[in-house]
Amino acid sequence: MKRAPGRERGFAQVARARLRWLVVGPPYLWLLLFFAAPFLIVLKISLAEAQIAMPPFTDLLRWSGEKLSLTLNLANYGFLLSDELYVSAYLNSLRIALNATLLCLLIAYPMAWVIARMPPGRRLVFLMLIILPSWTSFLIRIYAWIGILKNEGLLNEALLALGLIDAPLRILHSEAALYIGIVYAYLPFMLLPLYANLVKLDDRLLEAATDLGAKSHQVFVRVILPLSRSGILAGCMLVFIPAVGEFVIPELLGGAGNLMIGKVLWQEFFNNRDWPVASAVAIVMLLLLMVPIMLLHRYQARELEAR
Amino acid sequence: MTANTPPGARDGAEVAAAAATPAGSYLRVVGVSKDFADCRALEQVDLEVGKGEIFALLGASGCGKSTLLRVLAGFETPSEGHVILDGEPLDALPPHRRPVNMMFQSYALFPHMSVEKNIAFGLKQEGLRRAEIAERVVEMLTLVRMGEYARRKPDQLSGGQQQRVALARSLIKRPKLLLLDEPMGALDRKLRAQMQIEVVDILRRLGVTCLMVTHDQDEAMTMAGRIAIMERGRIRQVGAPAEVYEKPSCRYSAEFIGSVNLFEGRVSEQFPDHLLITSRSLPYPIRVGYAALVPDAAQVTLAVRPEKMSLSHSPPAQAHNKLSGVIERIAYFGSHSAYYLRTPSGQTVRGVLLNAQRQSGPRFVAGEQAWMAWEADAVVVLPA
Repeated sequence: MKRAPGRERGFAQVARARLRWLVVGPPYLWLLLFFAAPFLIVLKISLAEAQIAMPPFTDLLRWSGEKLSLTLNLANYGFLLSDELYVSAYLNSLRIALNATLLCLLIAYPMAWVIARMPPGRRLVFLMLIILPSWTSFLIRIYAWIGILKNEGLLNEALLALGLIDAPLRILHSEAALYIGIVYAYLPFMLLPLYANLVKLDDRLLEAATDLGAKSHQVFVRVILPLSRSGILAGCMLVFIPAVGEFVIPELLGGAGNLMIGKVLWQEFFNNRDWPVASAVAIVMLLLLMVPIMLLHRYQARELEAR
Repeated sequence: MTANTPPGARDGAEVAAAAATPAGSYLRVVGVSKDFADCRALEQVDLEVGKGEIFALLGASGCGKSTLLRVLAGFETPSEGHVILDGEPLDALPPHRRPVNMMFQSYALFPHMSVEKNIAFGLKQEGLRRAEIAERVVEMLTLVRMGEYARRKPDQLSGGQQQRVALARSLIKRPKLLLLDEPMGALDRKLRAQMQIEVVDILRRLGVTCLMVTHDQDEAMTMAGRIAIMERGRIRQVGAPAEVYEKPSCRYSAEFIGSVNLFEGRVSEQFPDHLLITSRSLPYPIRVGYAALVPDAAQVTLAVRPEKMSLSHSPPAQAHNKLSGVIERIAYFGSHSAYYLRTPSGQTVRGVLLNAQRQSGPRFVAGEQAWMAWEADAVVVLPA
């Protein structure tokens, strides 16, 4: 039997359109269920009032008599601004995350460079060495740092044994320990995008720059650095964003002085049981993080346009 | 170079002697060898290139020509030997301080910089005034006819345009020596022919001394004044294109440039003005139209270019330099056709006829019996 060719194409088109939805649909559904919906719930709670009940917050919509009333309580946000604690926790989080990101970049860039210049077989070995630790539990690895950094820990014992110090250094529960923990935990997230970027860098561009009279530092500043900008940005985002909201590392390694917003959030939810304020804290954190993400997006769009 | 004794310091006297170059040789490569971990890429290479000359290193891939180019640029340090440019030894100079610039294979333009920034790159390192840099960039843009593309990025340019930018970038520092690495390698056939002429034109106008590396014999013959044929790290023959083609000095260069018919033979008689050679694969003796310095009864290889063959149906009148066979195959190339004649001894001999010539003369078809003959002057005697 012969089919009209136009009809056949129609079927194929419909089939392809369905296939496309089948491929694109699930991730969207996933994001809708597990990102958009929880976000809206949190937003809703942040606009409610706390009450001692089940659930521990008021409804936004209320029927009374014939009237449907919507009550949006902005006091939670006002409270965040008025209380010194929250503002300083936010600023502290941003500062620590920023410093940790820079530290990661300074450590990861040379590492990524050296690995990217290795012969391909050896590259894989070194990449594995970097990825391997993340196969064990994050929590356990951070706990292990307590054993290393505490007063009678491995580090202090070693330094004492070598005679470099007379009394153990107080590292644990200080800002230094906090940075050690964050840099340790997030280094792979900085290193991998940098590596992926640097490994593609064409050696002949470096030779061309040298040939044209550039000394090695000039080659770095004028050729390597600009060409690896997208890797640097991606790595910084991957470290900075989770570091701002980090809870476990400041809790286990940080001191009382380094209040970070993740900890405040936890305390609001579990100690104070003030869900609306906790939700407001989360929403503001999200908004703060939106700024760098949007800047990155703008940059990437411009980069694509220039192409 | 070993870390503590650069060749320049090790034997200064030798370099000084070599640096006193005779007039006419601007670039001198003296006994340069290069060993890599697993092979010897260059073996005692000697080369002299005159000022303003365009010189081509021609060879198959892996013959060492690129290594030699990288030695000149300073990216590789020779295991032995010296490079002297304009009377100055280059051995101790790092690449960024050599008065040598290179146009890289597939150009290596900086993708994040516009055309004008790419071209200006070399001058910015020198700390020149902005105005002067801008002036020289414009001068270069005009020279390579890229003025209207100054603000484009390399990936917005065609292959030929990218090449012009790469050329301008490598010329802007007014190098004493310009290196071209497979200059036409990334272009399609048609553009290649056009750019070959254009590049040579620019180089001649600037009078820059240029050493190019290529595996494409047409490119070398069109662009260069002299050619060196390289094989396995050695230079086999140096000469003008016509000289290398007409008078190959060895089997390798005869076979590498163009196509050639080779016959093995033994010198049977020598005269003051010619030689007679007998070959087991040919029924008639071969007459060579000049005296060659070969011992009696020496084993030699004879080379005859296909275009020197004449083709006929009837046996030629001459007593020498002819053979007969069956036309095995005819290949049509538009401007000319190639005829493959299979001799009774089993050798396939190639003859080329221009198609203009073919129109007027007799016609040949595959499967026919035919004769080939050639002049005594067309034979080149090579060592066996």
